[in-house]
Amino acid sequence: MKAMQSKSSRVVMAMLVAGACALPEIGCVTVPNEGKQPAIATHVDDWRDEVIYQVLVDRFANGDPNNDYKVRPGYLARFQGGDWQGLIDHLDYIKELGVTTLWISPVVKNVETDADVDSYHGYWAQDLTQTNPHFGDLAQLRKLTAAAHDMQLKVVLDIVTNHMGQVFYYDMNLNGNPDIYIGGSGPLQGAGSKSDIVRITEYDPDWDPRGVQAFTSLGNAGRAPVIFIQDPSINRVPPKGILGTARAYHGFGRILNYDDEKQRLIGDFPGGLKDVATELPEVRAELIDLYTRWAEVADLDGFRIDTVKHVEYEFWTEFATAVRARLAPQGKSKFLMFGEAFDGNDKLLGSYTQPGMLDSVFYFSQHFQVFRDIFQNAHDENAQKGTDQIQKLWADRVVNYNTQPQPGGTGIAPAKSLVNFMDNHDVSRFLFEALGDKEALRNALTLLMTEEGIPCVYYGTEQELAGGNDPSNREVLWTTGFDTTNETFRHLSKLARLRAKYISLRRGDTNVVYATPHVKAEDDAGIVAYERAGGDAGDQYALVVINTNARHQSTTADGAKAMKITKPGVTLVDVLDPESKTYAVPANGELRIIVPAQRAMILVPQEQLKP
Amino acid sequence: MLLPETPVHRKSSLLDRVVPLLIVATAFVTETAFAQAPPPASPAQPAQPAPGPTGAPAPAAAQPAAPTVVIVPATPVPAPAPGEIPRPDAPLSSDTSAPSVPGATTPGVARGNEPSRVVTEAPSAHEGHFEFGSYGRVYAASDLRGGTGRGTNVVAFGPRIVDEGNYAELELRREDKWSERVKGRVVATLALFPPFFHFSGKATQAIAVRNLYAQGTYDKVTMWAGSRMYRGDDIYLLNWWPLDNQNTVGGGIGAPIYKSEGPGTSYETVLQVHAGQQRLDNPYQFQQIPVVAPYGFGTVDVTKLDRPRTIETVKLTQFVRPGGGSAGFKAVLYGELHQLAAGTFVDPLTKVDRGLPEDSGWMLGSQLTYFTGKRDTYASLVMRHARGIAAYDPLAVPITFALDRTTSGASETQIALSGNYEQEEFSILYAAYVRFFRDGSPADTSTQKYDEGTAVIRPSVFLGDYFGISVEGSYQQRRLAMLQPGTNDQLNAGVTKFGVMPYFSPSGRGSYKRPQIRLLYVASFRDSGTRALYPVEDVFSQRKAEHFLGIGAEWWFNSSSYP
Repeated sequence: MKAMQSKSSRVVMAMLVAGACALPEIGCVTVPNEGKQPAIATHVDDWRDEVIYQVLVDRFANGDPNNDYKVRPGYLARFQGGDWQGLIDHLDYIKELGVTTLWISPVVKNVETDADVDSYHGYWAQDLTQTNPHFGDLAQLRKLTAAAHDMQLKVVLDIVTNHMGQVFYYDMNLNGNPDIYIGGSGPLQGAGSKSDIVRITEYDPDWDPRGVQAFTSLGNAGRAPVIFIQDPSINRVPPKGILGTARAYHGFGRILNYDDEKQRLIGDFPGGLKDVATELPEVRAELIDLYTRWAEVADLDGFRIDTVKHVEYEFWTEFATAVRARLAPQGKSKFLMFGEAFDGNDKLLGSYTQPGMLDSVFYFSQHFQVFRDIFQNAHDENAQKGTDQIQKLWADRVVNYNTQPQPGGTGIAPAKSLVNFMDNHDVSRFLFEALGDKEALRNALTLLMTEEGIPCVYYGTEQELAGGNDPSNREVLWTTGFDTTNETFRHLSKLARLRAKYISLRRGDTNVVYATPHVKAEDDAGIVAYERAGGDAGDQYALVVINTNARHQSTTADGAKAMKITKPGVTLVDVLDPESKTYAVPANGELRIIVPAQRAMILVPQEQLKP
Repeated sequence: MLLPETPVHRKSSLLDRVVPLLIVATAFVTETAFAQAPPPASPAQPAQPAPGPTGAPAPAAAQPAAPTVVIVPATPVPAPAPGEIPRPDAPLSSDTSAPSVPGATTPGVARGNEPSRVVTEAPSAHEGHFEFGSYGRVYAASDLRGGTGRGTNVVAFGPRIVDEGNYAELELRREDKWSERVKGRVVATLALFPPFFHFSGKATQAIAVRNLYAQGTYDKVTMWAGSRMYRGDDIYLLNWWPLDNQNTVGGGIGAPIYKSEGPGTSYETVLQVHAGQQRLDNPYQFQQIPVVAPYGFGTVDVTKLDRPRTIETVKLTQFVRPGGGSAGFKAVLYGELHQLAAGTFVDPLTKVDRGLPEDSGWMLGSQLTYFTGKRDTYASLVMRHARGIAAYDPLAVPITFALDRTTSGASETQIALSGNYEQEEFSILYAAYVRFFRDGSPADTSTQKYDEGTAVIRPSVFLGDYFGISVEGSYQQRRLAMLQPGTNDQLNAGVTKFGVMPYFSPSGRGSYKRPQIRLLYVASFRDSGTRALYPVEDVFSQRKAEHFLGIGAEWWFNSSSYP
């Protein structure tokens, strides 16, 4: 009996031990502080000091498999699984690259899918108040911005005010169904019959200056009713608030002619993206409120604004002014707002930087005239343009862009803070157009990182991704293994370090000291050289010399005409050169330098050399 | 047709034993040979029998009918003595699918070429009978707004009083005793799920086969195999088995490994082990996909994913009754191991193949209970901790995972307290638990990271022997690792309930006397966190108070699952 009592005691004791084992697991669940409302602040000194890294969140890194809803690996028009946690997990990679600002794709909840293409990009907004669960929740977004700020990285959010996702259709035949009609009844030339094909889709009908029309067998029947779609399975449901009403949309159908200003402003964006009536005061108020809220709740540092040329100018004045006025009292100033107008018209781009409007724009004219015409075409002397085109374009900055800082804005004039880029998610990658010419890519990066303005690098450039047009240019990055040893990564990283080191490369004014129309066998073919000095860089100086020619070395002279710089008598050191070669500048300032094909030099005075 | 059977004992020679065996063996060999050499298939027909819904060959082709051997008693069956179960007029074969043989019970009737022989039936010690048992609860309720009463719990194991829903089990059980040392039991339990016909008007009924197992006891060792609800003690107020609650197809064995004898404090130690499987019809564990038929046209289904969760349990129970009285202690140590193999499935949403790595988990728990042995009075404390896949209810699949798509890192810790006290015209049932659940996801915020708990108390007053009135108060809360939308606060959802329940209990007074025929009113008060759990289209996202006024009944009797 005693033995059994002892046995029982042991059993009870074992049970208590087992119970005690569980105790360390007990602890109250919490939302981490980084996930709560941050104390918002200004994290930027001068936006020209920043290097923007554009990230399509779905494609950068998959940090949480639990939001991989409907992910289809390998199909680039579908979700791939990237999320904000993935970004958080790889901030060290971004830091190592040397970029300083993340531009993340839109965060708001989208219509999930449309015509078998997913909203992985985030541009099909459905609910401007909620995060897109594919990427995370609000706490995770906050965690991203907090982690980024801890690493001295800033975060710019991509927003869209021009349109919403495809949340309604036009009931053109008044039958209450979203129909796609394909039929024919028109004349067929020469055949004596009527059979030419007409296609009408009530999701995305063509532009009609009267507004999208309903019709019956007897003819037009007036404006087609706007019918919001109720399909919760793909989150295609009416937006909240006024954006869930027909009057918040123009209803004129899809833009057919982008040169027609009326179509551009009130036409639907191709793909059935419904154009918002941004001129309505209550719609403006809603957009201002909802988007500014994101800056407030997530401590964002700026907006990249989509499709600005499809919205009337007055909106931008009101929007930009209101955002600045609301954020400044909360301690957030220098909030960068730069717009995207997919257009090579430099004057048009500049028009969105008029006083009171945006701080900057995406420098699309440079994308076409410099990166495409000169760098991407380096392999084709018949297609390549001379570097004098760079000189001319840059000279127009002070003509086409506002030269005064926006009131309450970033403190930098738009003309001096244009967002420079080689490629982005809307155009094929640089390497695709350059036929894989990596020398051209690295050469272009040198210009991008040393010219005046704010450089912006599209994710994957550092991994030499080479996709064609959308969606091929939206590759997943994680298949590269986040390699930090390849030549382009190291080149870009070095350029970023140099830019950070030398204020002249960030804030100096630009003086083009050599440019040429020559692109063939001429001695100076492909040479461009510019000084970055003065202005907000004080007495600091840098000279950048680039040979864009892919076929031979070139020199900064054409016969008797030689490059003449404003720093005579100094010794310049090529900080891009691993051997740090030096060049003595004659007293007359004329400097003849031979630059190998598709190579560049970044020259700083020896006395300004930094360790 | 299931009928009581009476075993037959007879004297037999070696020849008697060999001949039937030869017959069976010959039949078997013949069928095997047949199965190995099927006739040529026509081009339009599959060579093998068409698979059934699960892809298994049709039973008729795979299981040739076994030859029936009928043993005929040579002497008249004695008339049953008073009190004995009458002998049925039925074939003596245990194969109830065998055709009846006219006159099979008549002396001297033989079949085929089998020679007539004399069989003497020994006096039977066998006792056997069928039992019927049931558990059930059925309510009709209003929300006092014109709708039906609706559950309001926000925690996994909230008070059952409103949320338990209609449910019933019908148990048919065969009990046999062949000797003092050898006993058997076969249990079949059907579970009925709502809605029932009189509510929905649809003559369809969701029925689940839960228990379907056979159990045998030899001396003190009990073995079982089949499909079984294999459970420990429940907390009635929460409709919850906090320590062990297995629902598998498998088997187990158990025995008292020590039992004290003689007067004074008694001790009994019982050891039980069990192993079972579950393969939920979910692409997490099982999936069949159509493929092009290898012969002819159309498709056939093939099994793409087949990875049952295998669970092994061990349970050590110690009973101590001081002084040999009715009061005592029950202490339990309990552990589980869970395994899942790796596999691949086709994502039903995207049609893309996705890998599922192998997974595993374990659970360790304990229970300490004091019981008076009188009027169901007891108090019990349960603690358990689980890791990995064992943190998840085996009848559900995880919805969030670690980066490697396993449940590694997931954990569940829970402490539960329950009890009942009865004295004269008064009783009080109470229960409380706290539970800490963490999924394995890398995100800091997740709906699958939460703490929760419930406290509930139900005092009752017995009005005479058959009537009574209970009142119930409870509070429950779930704290999620999420922000409440529109606020900077953590999402905490809490519900407070008050209810009153007058009842008629024809079986007498007591917290556990059933059946009860009840009137029931419960008010649930729901805070903003609770309302935030529901989509805005749901009125529960708006309503702060919810009513439940209903009439219903709950019963249990003679059920092996609810002893």
